[in-house]
Amino acid sequence: MSRPILEIHNLNKAFGGLFATKDVDFELKQGTKEAIIGPNGAGKSTFFALVSGYHRPDAGTIHFDGKEITGHKPHEIARLGISRAFQVSNIFPRLTVEENVRSAVQARSGKAFDLFSRADMMGLERTEEILSLCNLIQKRSGLAGELSQGDKKRLELALALAGQPKLLLLDEPTAGMSSEETKETMDLVDRLNSKFGLTILFSEHDMSVVFSHAQRITLLHRGQIIMSGSPAEVRGNEQAQKIYLGEQP
Amino acid sequence: MINGLYRKLDLSIRVLLVLAILFLLLPLLPGRFPLVVGTEILILGLLALSFNMIYGYMGQISFGHAAFFGLGAYTSALILRPLIEAGQLGYLGFFLALAAAVPISALGALIVGFFCVRLTGIYFAILSLAFGELLFYIVFSWYSFTKGDDGIQGLMPPFVFKSGVIYYYFTFAVVGITALLLRKISRSPFGYTLRMLRDNQNRTAFLGIDIRRVMLLNFVIAGAFAGLAGALWGPFQRSVSPALLGWHQSGVPVFMTLIGGAAHFAGPLVGSIIYTALNAYVTQFTSYWPLTIGLIILCVVLFLPGGLLSVIDIWVHRGRKADT
Repeated sequence: MSRPILEIHNLNKAFGGLFATKDVDFELKQGTKEAIIGPNGAGKSTFFALVSGYHRPDAGTIHFDGKEITGHKPHEIARLGISRAFQVSNIFPRLTVEENVRSAVQARSGKAFDLFSRADMMGLERTEEILSLCNLIQKRSGLAGELSQGDKKRLELALALAGQPKLLLLDEPTAGMSSEETKETMDLVDRLNSKFGLTILFSEHDMSVVFSHAQRITLLHRGQIIMSGSPAEVRGNEQAQKIYLGEQP
Repeated sequence: MINGLYRKLDLSIRVLLVLAILFLLLPLLPGRFPLVVGTEILILGLLALSFNMIYGYMGQISFGHAAFFGLGAYTSALILRPLIEAGQLGYLGFFLALAAAVPISALGALIVGFFCVRLTGIYFAILSLAFGELLFYIVFSWYSFTKGDDGIQGLMPPFVFKSGVIYYYFTFAVVGITALLLRKISRSPFGYTLRMLRDNQNRTAFLGIDIRRVMLLNFVIAGAFAGLAGALWGPFQRSVSPALLGWHQSGVPVFMTLIGGAAHFAGPLVGSIIYTALNAYVTQFTSYWPLTIGLIILCVVLFLPGGLLSVIDIWVHRGRKADT
């Protein structure tokens, strides 16, 4: 279980001379649940975008599950087993909740180009499973665009799960949620990790969430990794406090 | 039970059922004129239905869709003309000439689509327009092959198809079957892939879907069906001309779809009825057809955004979900 699933070496990405990611070395072991933290603009979203293929790195390599994926296209990386849930919910607003998940399930099982089957008869079991896992059963026939922010984020997570990922990238999964919704979502994240063995990497603003749910925390600042360690180590680190926790004297 | 079944049918299939009955009965109207208008409605309706695969389902607008309509029309015309001149046109030759339009238009759409699907939004629209005009110009100026501006005349269909009624029912059958096929595609997993693309391209890619391949396949499907519509046009009008590929003609399915409603499968067909029938009757009284259709489009955009079927849908269902 301790084989690395994600290995990143010397990753660099700059936008117009400004480094969003600088010399990042990072390793994620299979089956773990880790967090990336950092102040706004630290490069967390860019990091996720690089791993999922939305941006091409300027330099460095990314290996996933033993295969090099540097510079691969998003759909190729998704097929290999990395799913990404977005910070700003990124769903299909004019489809129903169920159609959202069902279409993602069908895409995963290679049916995206099936011209003659009925879409409403396919992949229903898996769709049902994901809907109930994400607590969306009651909202299934509503239009996704009309959901509340919290429900949209849950659907976002459901879409990522439909990809049957080995690695789940969650960019601020609880942003915009009430404290109750946050707890529910993080409980689900815990369950996905412990029960289904999913490797999870998430970024999060809420420090209490990070400290109670991440096994290891990596701190980014101005595109560079400042430190990596257990919640206790990060809490005790002076530099981390200065940069991020805002506890300057 | 009938009631229960009725409630299970969505608006589009109900509209299609009613229209099918009306189309079947249309030849009962006196005179030849209704038949001509009816045939035109069906052929242009198929063109508009194929256009809506790109617009309503995939969320891109093509201003050059008539290029494939014209390509289909010219393909069958160029096969039919020598057969007619040699007095050898039989049923087999006729059907093969019509069928040949499908792969040729699909091939044309594959080449044009290869470039267009790299772009979205206004760039997709403008590039499709540019390719449409390019194909128009080739047909217009290649006199030795296409007869240029003269068009190809005397495309008399064989035997019984000379009869307006029979050609009308033949068109009805072809358009009916292909419309059902298109509807099946629109409800397939591929149809939902198109909707995903329309709603959110990036997200679709992150679900592991090669979005360019999806767009290209759909472009080819739409082009192939437009080509079939074009093939029906030549023997109906007894002639084809380069204008069939031009941007005026490309505007026709756009107007029809806006009038009928892009969010419903049957919308473009309803739009074709309104557009074509009005065109046919208005031009009897006035030469100001462009002004008339301009005012209609203005009213639709301002007062019926979403088209006629969306308004009916809201009346009937109080906003139940659309097809697309």
